[in-house]
Amino acid sequence: MLESIVSYGLAVGAVYALIGITYNVMFSASRVFSFTAGMLGMLGGVLGALFINKLGLNAVLGFVAVLACGAVLGLITEVLTVRPVLKSIEQHLYVLSTLAFALMVQQLTAIEWGTEAQPFPRLIPIGAGWLDQQFWLPMLACAVTIVGLELLYRKTLVGRAFLAIAEDSYAARALGLPETRLRLASFALAGVIGTLAGFTGAQMLLAFFGNQSILSFYGFIPVALGGMGSNRGAVIGGLALGLFQQTANFLVGGIFAAVAVFAVFIVVLLFRPEGLAGAAAARRV
Amino acid sequence: MSISRRQVLAGSAVSAAALASGFPAPAIAQNEPIKIGYLPALTGPSSSTGIGINRGTLLAIEEINAAGGIKGRKIELVSRDTQSDPTKAVNAVAELTQRQKASIIWGPLNSGEALAATPLIARDKVPMLHPCWVDSLIDVKKYPMAFRIAPTNTQVGIGANHYVVDVLKLKKVAVISDTTGYGTASVETYVPMLKSKGAEVVYSGHVDAANPDLKPELLRMRNAGAQAIMPWSVNAGFLSRILNTRGAMGWDVPVVGQTTLGSGQTKALLEKPENWNKVYSNNFRNCCYVGGKLPARAQEFVDRLKKSKIEFGDTLLWWVALGWDGAKMIGDTLQAVGPKANDIVAYWNKVKGWPGVYGTVTWTPEQHNGFPDSEVVMCEVNSLRDGAFNLAPGYSG
Repeated sequence: MLESIVSYGLAVGAVYALIGITYNVMFSASRVFSFTAGMLGMLGGVLGALFINKLGLNAVLGFVAVLACGAVLGLITEVLTVRPVLKSIEQHLYVLSTLAFALMVQQLTAIEWGTEAQPFPRLIPIGAGWLDQQFWLPMLACAVTIVGLELLYRKTLVGRAFLAIAEDSYAARALGLPETRLRLASFALAGVIGTLAGFTGAQMLLAFFGNQSILSFYGFIPVALGGMGSNRGAVIGGLALGLFQQTANFLVGGIFAAVAVFAVFIVVLLFRPEGLAGAAAARRV
Repeated sequence: MSISRRQVLAGSAVSAAALASGFPAPAIAQNEPIKIGYLPALTGPSSSTGIGINRGTLLAIEEINAAGGIKGRKIELVSRDTQSDPTKAVNAVAELTQRQKASIIWGPLNSGEALAATPLIARDKVPMLHPCWVDSLIDVKKYPMAFRIAPTNTQVGIGANHYVVDVLKLKKVAVISDTTGYGTASVETYVPMLKSKGAEVVYSGHVDAANPDLKPELLRMRNAGAQAIMPWSVNAGFLSRILNTRGAMGWDVPVVGQTTLGSGQTKALLEKPENWNKVYSNNFRNCCYVGGKLPARAQEFVDRLKKSKIEFGDTLLWWVALGWDGAKMIGDTLQAVGPKANDIVAYWNKVKGWPGVYGTVTWTPEQHNGFPDSEVVMCEVNSLRDGAFNLAPGYSG
C-alpha cells in the first residue's frame, strides 16, 4: 500500500506541480491567470501519442515536436487571448478569453483525436512495478524543470529580466526592457512546461481529451496552496496534493477521495488565503 | 393563370364524389416507393455502432427491393445521419415524419438520440422501431407506437448477473462503475438484482473514471473476498485500468460486464494481451460461436454477407445482424399489412417468435420490448474472429 501511495502519489503530484508551474510562469510575466495550463497538459499526451504512435516518429523527435507545439501554442495564447485584454486587466476579461481558447482547443481535439482515451507509448522499457517509467518520468521532469527555472531566473540576464517584469512591469519597461517580447517568451516557456507535464504523465493519464479539465483544476490547487507565483510552492503543493489524493484513495476510496481533497483545499485556503508558502501581500495606503 | 373560387369549389366537388364512389387512387401512387425514415449515427463519437448497423440495414433493403419490393413498390430508405447528436436527431425527425411522410421510423440507433427523438415521433403518430437499451424508451402508454428490437439495460444486467451467479456459481461479487449517469444507474439497478439472486455484493462503488490508479479499489474488492468483478462503464480508459490493475496484482478473478470490455479501444489500452483473459462481456446467443461454429441462422447470414462482399471483420457481427433484423422486420410488416400506421402497430402487437438473425422477437399490446432474456449471454472478449466472439464458458447448449 505504502509503495503504491508513494509511487502514484509523487508521480501524479509531479504532473500537478508542473501544471502549477505553467500557471505561474504565465502569471508572472503578465499578471494574467491563463486557463490554458490544463489544455497544454492534455495536448502533451495527445500530441505525444499522435507523433509517436500514429505518425511513427521516434521518441526523441516526438518529444521535441511536442515541446515545440507547446511553445507555439504558448505564443498563440499570448497573442490571441492575453495581449488584447491586458488593457482591461482590472476587469478580468482574460478569464473569459483564455478559457474560451482552451475550450475551443479541447473541442477541436475531441473532434480530430476522438473522445476515447488512447494509449501512450512506453518510451523507456526499463524497470517494472514502482520503477516503471510512468512513475519516475514525471518526477524527473519536475526536478529538471524546477532546477532549470531556478538557474534561468538566478543566473541568466534573460531570467533576471523575467523577474523584473514579474516584479514591476512599469518599472521594467521604464528601464528599457522589452516587456512584450519577454511576455511572449514566458508564454512559450509555459507552453513547453505544460506539454512536458502532459507528455511525461501520459502513460499514467492516457492520451485523452478529458484530461484537460482534470489538469486545469488539480494543477490550480498547487498554485493556491503554494502561493501565486511561487514555483517552489507549486512543487511542494503539487507533491503534497498527489500524496494526499492517493492516501485518500486508499483510506476512503471512490468518489469520497475527491471530496477529501476538496475539503482540505478549502480548509487550507480559509486559514492561509495567501497559500502555504506565500506571504500576505502588502497593500499600499 | 388565376384560379377562381368557383373552379376550386368545382374541383373539390369532383374529388369528393370520386372519394365517395370508391374511385381508385391514381396508379402512380401504387408505384411510389414506401418511405422509411432512418436515423443512424454514421459520424461522431457513437458512430461505430451506427456504421455496423447500417451495413445490415442496407443489405436487407437491397434484398427486399431485389425480390420485388412490397407488392411491386420499392422501399426507399430516407437516411439522415444524426452525427451522434440528439439535436440533429430531433431536427431529422421533424423532416422525416412531417415532410417526407415516412411510414415507419427505424432508429435512432443510440439511446442519447432516442431519448430526445422518441417523444416527437410519438407525437407525430408514426410507428417507430429502435434498438436502444435505455429502459424508459419503451412505454406502451406514453409511446404506443414505439417498439424495441433489442434488449433493455435491465436485460443486459440480468444476463451478466445470471452468468456470474447461475453459470459460474460465484456468490461474492464486486460491482463498480464510473461516476456517469449510466454507470451509477447501472450499479443501483443491478446490485439489488444480484442480491435477490442470492449473491453477496461484497463491494459496490462509483469511481471517477479519470482516476489513474484503481489499485486501492481492487485491493478493497480482493480483501472483501470478491470472486468476480462486474464493472459498468462505457469508458474504455476506466475499464482497461481495471484489467491492467488486476493483471499487475496477479489476481485471477473473472471480470464480467458491458460490451465495451470487449471493444478495440479497451484492447488498445491493455498493458499486456493476457490482461484480456477471463474477461466476459455482454453478447447475444445467436451471434456467438459455440464449439467454433455460429448458429445456423447466423452462419447463413454470414455467408450472404460474404457473397454480397459486405465487410464485417472490422465491426461486430451482432451490430450488422441487428441492422438486418430491423430492416427485415419492417419489410415483413409492410408486406403483411401495408404502410398504414395503425395496421403496422396492430401487426407488431401480435408478433410472436419472429426469427431474426440477431434475436427472436415477440411483442404484445402490453409489452413492446421484444428481445428474450435467454438470448442475452456473455462471451469471451479475447476470442474475436470475423466480428463474433466465443460464447463464454459454462453455458449449456
